[in-house]
Amino acid sequence: MALKELNFEFKAATPKTIKKEWAHLGVVGSGDMEVLLEKRRLNGAVKVKVVTPVTGFEKVWELVLAKVVKDNNLGDVYMEINDNNATPIVASMRLRQALAEASKPEREVEENA
Amino acid sequence: MLNWEKLQQLNFTDANARERAFGLVDKGSFTEFVSPRDKMSSPHLPVLGEAIEFDDGIVTGLGLLGSRPVFVISQEGKFIGGAIGEVGGAKMVKTIKLALQTYERVKKITPASYEKRLPAVIISFETGGVRLHEANAGLLAHAEVMDQIQDARGKIPIIAVIGSKVGCFGGMGFVAAATDIIVMSENGRLGLTGPEVIEQEMGKDEFDAANKALVFRTTGGKHKYIMQDCNFLVEDSVRAFRTQLKEIMNIPFPEIEKYRRIGSLQLVEEQLELVKSAVTIGPKDAQDMWKYYGNDNPQALADISPKEFLATVKRRERVI
Repeated sequence: MALKELNFEFKAATPKTIKKEWAHLGVVGSGDMEVLLEKRRLNGAVKVKVVTPVTGFEKVWELVLAKVVKDNNLGDVYMEINDNNATPIVASMRLRQALAEASKPEREVEENA
Repeated sequence: MLNWEKLQQLNFTDANARERAFGLVDKGSFTEFVSPRDKMSSPHLPVLGEAIEFDDGIVTGLGLLGSRPVFVISQEGKFIGGAIGEVGGAKMVKTIKLALQTYERVKKITPASYEKRLPAVIISFETGGVRLHEANAGLLAHAEVMDQIQDARGKIPIIAVIGSKVGCFGGMGFVAAATDIIVMSENGRLGLTGPEVIEQEMGKDEFDAANKALVFRTTGGKHKYIMQDCNFLVEDSVRAFRTQLKEIMNIPFPEIEKYRRIGSLQLVEEQLELVKSAVTIGPKDAQDMWKYYGNDNPQALADISPKEFLATVKRRERVI
């Protein structure tokens, strides 16, 4: 009954890391999830940890995450996801939103400077 | 997250805890304490197989409103109904403690003009109270927050902000009542026992939780404003709440005490008078009280915008 932890590792063809040191997006509501992206030296790989109460969806998570990594050529990123029954489409949308958040300037004030 | 300008335009009801925390203080001034990156999630939920959140459903931090340092606590209703557990509770307690430490420092460094830099605490409530999964730790968190509020009394203002979807119920209803000033929108709801719980315990005849109009006219911002349970009623936007908070910062500190609803013998007597009037007036509906206080057409009041409402409403007169 305890929470399950899934771990994945991916490698894109031409990996590049995110702009911010770290970025966070999402709220762990019912059917939703949050993701924390951290810049980390991983030899171009992306490591992902998913914490979820749902069993039996390891393969689906792998497919969703692999696609996001491939489509965005992600590398040297450590990703941690807290899930509460997010569907695959919600998961990939939140990941894309988090990547958009990670590509913003570090602080809002710098944006206007 | 949206940029600060866009956050201002957001409906307060729709804003999540972090958006509220960033948007209620001056642009670019918010620094989060124990942010998601610190990964301080609940140690109790994993063993129960319950989803966790990095911030445990509470966003805390420091921002500015003009020259005033403002310590913000913002609760997330989407995460387990905003219920308060051990970690979230500790974050609330420590934030108020930091505000008090800052008060001591500011007073020591600039004794002549410390009032201009007087810290304040803002709590944006969205909760049903104790997180039952964490039982005693959740209850203890409530008691400790109450303790801190008591310690802050007469030193720094503690302001409650209520306008989110879940409302403010259960133990946190008590906590909100113990603050100095309460600001609500008409979508904000404040009470002790939530509508669903009343229905479950006392039956549908006592309180029909599915009747939204009934729920809002009994627990909503307009009713609380008429009854003087909340001090200010604002429109449903982050900007409107922020504007009201800025105005509150201009209230000279000694006057803050007058806004309180509980906490002195006089105030207890005022509350007891209200209990007495529940017997003498015998209201069958919240709107009977609206009528009693001089609002001849209460239903019309329920339907109009906050702006029109504020222009025409008659409130209970406070004896203090």
